[in-house]
Amino acid sequence: MENLLIALLVLGALGLFLALPGGRAHLARFAPVPLAGAGGVLAAVVLRAALSEPQRAWFAGLALVALAAAVRVVTHRRPVYSALYFVLLILAVTGLLVLLEAKFLAAALVIVYAGAILVTYVFVIMLAQQATAASYDVRAREPFWGCLAGFLLLAIVGMQLLSGGAATAAGPAAVGTVAEVGTRLLTHYAVAVQVGGLLLLAAMVGAIAIARRKPAADGDGGESAA
Amino acid sequence: MMDPTVARIERLLRNPLVLVTAAAALTAPVVLLAWLLWPWYGGFVQGLLADAFWFPLLFMLFVLVMILNATALCILAERKIAGFTQDRRGPNRVGFWGLLQPLADGLKFLFKEDIIPANVDRALFLLAPCLALVPALIGFAIIPWAGEVRWPWMPADAPAVSTQAASLDVGFLYLLAVGSLGVYGVVLAGYASNNKYSFYGGIRATAQMISYELPMGLALLCLLMTAGSLRPEEIVAQQADSGLWYVFLHPLAFLLLLTSSFAETNRAPFDLAEAEQELVGGFHTEYSSMKFAMFFLAEYAHMITGSALMVALFFGGWHFWGLPGAADTSWVAMLLRLAVFVGKVVLFIGLFMMIRWTIPRFRFDQLMRIAWLGMLPAGVVLLAGTAVLTAFGLERNVWACLALNVAVLAGMLVYVGRSRRPVTGRQPDLPAVSVGAV
Repeated sequence: MENLLIALLVLGALGLFLALPGGRAHLARFAPVPLAGAGGVLAAVVLRAALSEPQRAWFAGLALVALAAAVRVVTHRRPVYSALYFVLLILAVTGLLVLLEAKFLAAALVIVYAGAILVTYVFVIMLAQQATAASYDVRAREPFWGCLAGFLLLAIVGMQLLSGGAATAAGPAAVGTVAEVGTRLLTHYAVAVQVGGLLLLAAMVGAIAIARRKPAADGDGGESAA
Repeated sequence: MMDPTVARIERLLRNPLVLVTAAAALTAPVVLLAWLLWPWYGGFVQGLLADAFWFPLLFMLFVLVMILNATALCILAERKIAGFTQDRRGPNRVGFWGLLQPLADGLKFLFKEDIIPANVDRALFLLAPCLALVPALIGFAIIPWAGEVRWPWMPADAPAVSTQAASLDVGFLYLLAVGSLGVYGVVLAGYASNNKYSFYGGIRATAQMISYELPMGLALLCLLMTAGSLRPEEIVAQQADSGLWYVFLHPLAFLLLLTSSFAETNRAPFDLAEAEQELVGGFHTEYSSMKFAMFFLAEYAHMITGSALMVALFFGGWHFWGLPGAADTSWVAMLLRLAVFVGKVVLFIGLFMMIRWTIPRFRFDQLMRIAWLGMLPAGVVLLAGTAVLTAFGLERNVWACLALNVAVLAGMLVYVGRSRRPVTGRQPDLPAVSVGAV
């Protein structure tokens, strides 16, 4: 199993490195080969599991969609498409969360990420788009080190999961309900919630402070006092 | 000079008797055939209708078909109401009272040339109408249309089947999540069209949707604290039990939700994304034929889903005083409840249309000011007040809630009255125009 995991990760890293946009056009042509290989092996593994246990078919499909979308997020040369693949990724992960009975988390993920953050991303991308593609869109900055770091992390996590045995995360179905999540947040994680709220407040004040700085072209910038 | 044959056909179509006869002649053979063959498939149908999995699904299919048909009728209603508002007759040429106008409109959409301009982003251009339509059509899965029903042929110990397709623990959060995806259709249409006007339409739509989701969320949070549940069927059941619709407890929260729904449906007075006078057609300038029709369909489906949500959360859902409640699971009571629900939705749609043809479009800065300086503070204060009421166990007390609403309203009025800014609002860097003696 470990050997399979390592082979998968090496294939994936190689494919992603080749597929990342950069000055290696003659190599990028071969990117689909290792990527398809990794994807194929992965698909074979999860589909074999799905055959023995039909419930897993949903997991297999959603996971493969999520991985493919994730690869496209970092390799697509046009930022709008990257953002849209990110939306697809979010939706696939939402499906995985629903499979885990974490329905509140799923709804929150869609509302916050797909509904708010990525809409803002698309908004900014559309506003900032140049007539010709910007340099940071056509070439990745550190494709090699980026791939290495990412896949090393994946390898560590994967090895831990394999050595620790099959971690059974299947708790009681009541864990994911809104009432349960809310109670947990306000009792067990009360301090963390408060700190998070404070952080967000500080960020908001900072954002307003930056946005209020008016260009001096108008003469008086003191219009802001309501 | 009109061709005599055409004139005769037109005269025929305008006769209601002819229409009724034609409809009867078309449906009678089908009904007869279905009745004759009933012994062969009746048991199967009865089994499907009594099944706890298949019945909600079939009911959902029924509702979907109904919504698609209602969209066509909505267009006729909209044009009739526009005519009424503007003191003219509205469409009355095709069929009796213009009843065949939706058919003519649909045919027109189908037969128009489907143009894909040369310099558009082809993939996104084709994707955008689908992304607009799909979220609009999957939202109503959680609407509890008519409570539960027990068919006469079901065994006595079988559980009643529900007319709600999905009973989710996250309830109307699902609707919020789906609704928040609807903006991608508009944004991508504007972007993919590769056209300045479309682009501005898309940008405006994004800013508007992001802004109006906040007051909508705040209003729904007020309701959540009062009801203590996210499930729409439970919220409806609470209102039916007490006979007190939540709109009586939280009229301001309802107003916030109503206003935000207008913004989310992209209809006047919030239709800046397609403002004809400034942006030609806004985000759908480059769209024609069925692709344009899909945007149209999405707008109306959004309106229907939004109305259904407001009816379920604030107007008691299928509850009406004096009619059978949730305990009565006979199919007659189910149909009655469905009729009440649909009737309320129709009233809401009428309200949507009247407002569309009454209030002129906002300017963009006004739109933003209403959301961020008006509705958002009001929503936050309302939320804080509701939280205090909930802490003291008064959240279902109608007088306490009304007092809170009156206090918030009075506070808003005093603030607006005392502020030096004119209410209509102008760009802050323009000299202020005083309204009366301030």
